[in-house]
Amino acid sequence: MSLQITISPKERAAGRFVERVRRAVQKALAEEHAKSGLTQSDIARAIGVNRSVVSREIRGHKDLTLSRVAEIAWALGRRPAFDMVPTAVAPGVNVPPLVAAAVNPLSAHSGSQQAGLPARPGLSPARSHLPDELKAILNNITVIGSAA
Amino acid sequence: MATVLELATAQPPALLKLDPALEAREQEWRTIYILPRVEPRIAALSTWQSHWKVEQSPVQQMDALLEIFCSGETLTFDHRFKPLNHLSDGIWELKTPDLRFFGWFPYKDCFIGGALDTAFNVKNHDLYRGYAREVAYHRQHLDLNEPKFIPGEDPKNVVTNYDFP
Repeated sequence: MSLQITISPKERAAGRFVERVRRAVQKALAEEHAKSGLTQSDIARAIGVNRSVVSREIRGHKDLTLSRVAEIAWALGRRPAFDMVPTAVAPGVNVPPLVAAAVNPLSAHSGSQQAGLPARPGLSPARSHLPDELKAILNNITVIGSAA
Repeated sequence: MATVLELATAQPPALLKLDPALEAREQEWRTIYILPRVEPRIAALSTWQSHWKVEQSPVQQMDALLEIFCSGETLTFDHRFKPLNHLSDGIWELKTPDLRFFGWFPYKDCFIGGALDTAFNVKNHDLYRGYAREVAYHRQHLDLNEPKFIPGEDPKNVVTNYDFP
């Protein structure tokens, strides 16, 4: 039996988006550090904040605002790219194109059970669905290098 | 003695597989199972608050961790951000800002979680050693084929695509 954590599609979309943005920043920092030795202290100095602030934001101990993402990207000599594109769905992929998902985001399918919810025989509890647009966002957040 | 799959399909199951709810066209490259004793903690996640008061709640952090881990993405880009840490005796923790998930790897890319707590509790009460012992105890008493875990503390031995580059 498989188990899904209890989270709404909306929360899932938001949480995964936040994580993906932060990881894109982490990756860009690691790349620039490897390339030119740039440190968090250098970034913090460039944008005029304490190093601990940048550290906490990158580690997820403090919210990373859109402005800060842009500032860090600027300090790295990069620019953030952001796009909202529809996601293609097709039969056979993990997220089936169910209209029901939009009508009832907590509607379930395929054999797993959400933690804390009793199993309901015959109702196939569990998988929640991300709206297509938000999935597309998650797949398309990158920090793109600018000309050196 | 049984395999992970046999333990997960036994009645009652000795292991529960966490479904990462991957997105379209994502392949599950790594898997996470939990001991049934962890299920109440997983169920309670949605009620937990972020100690850091960040917008990403603990349940969102766990969901994002599941997606990253199970989709096989690079786990870490820098040692300062590593979400996987060895404690002792083949016991590892998967980390988010607010969560500590303790378990072991019976084989590469398969994590079995034996305990879950908030980072605040673990750090505030210095529970790392206690959880490591507790999970090792449950690992020892699980009817799992030998060898029950991958020894050592090199993360590259327990997961593929661990770090960058």
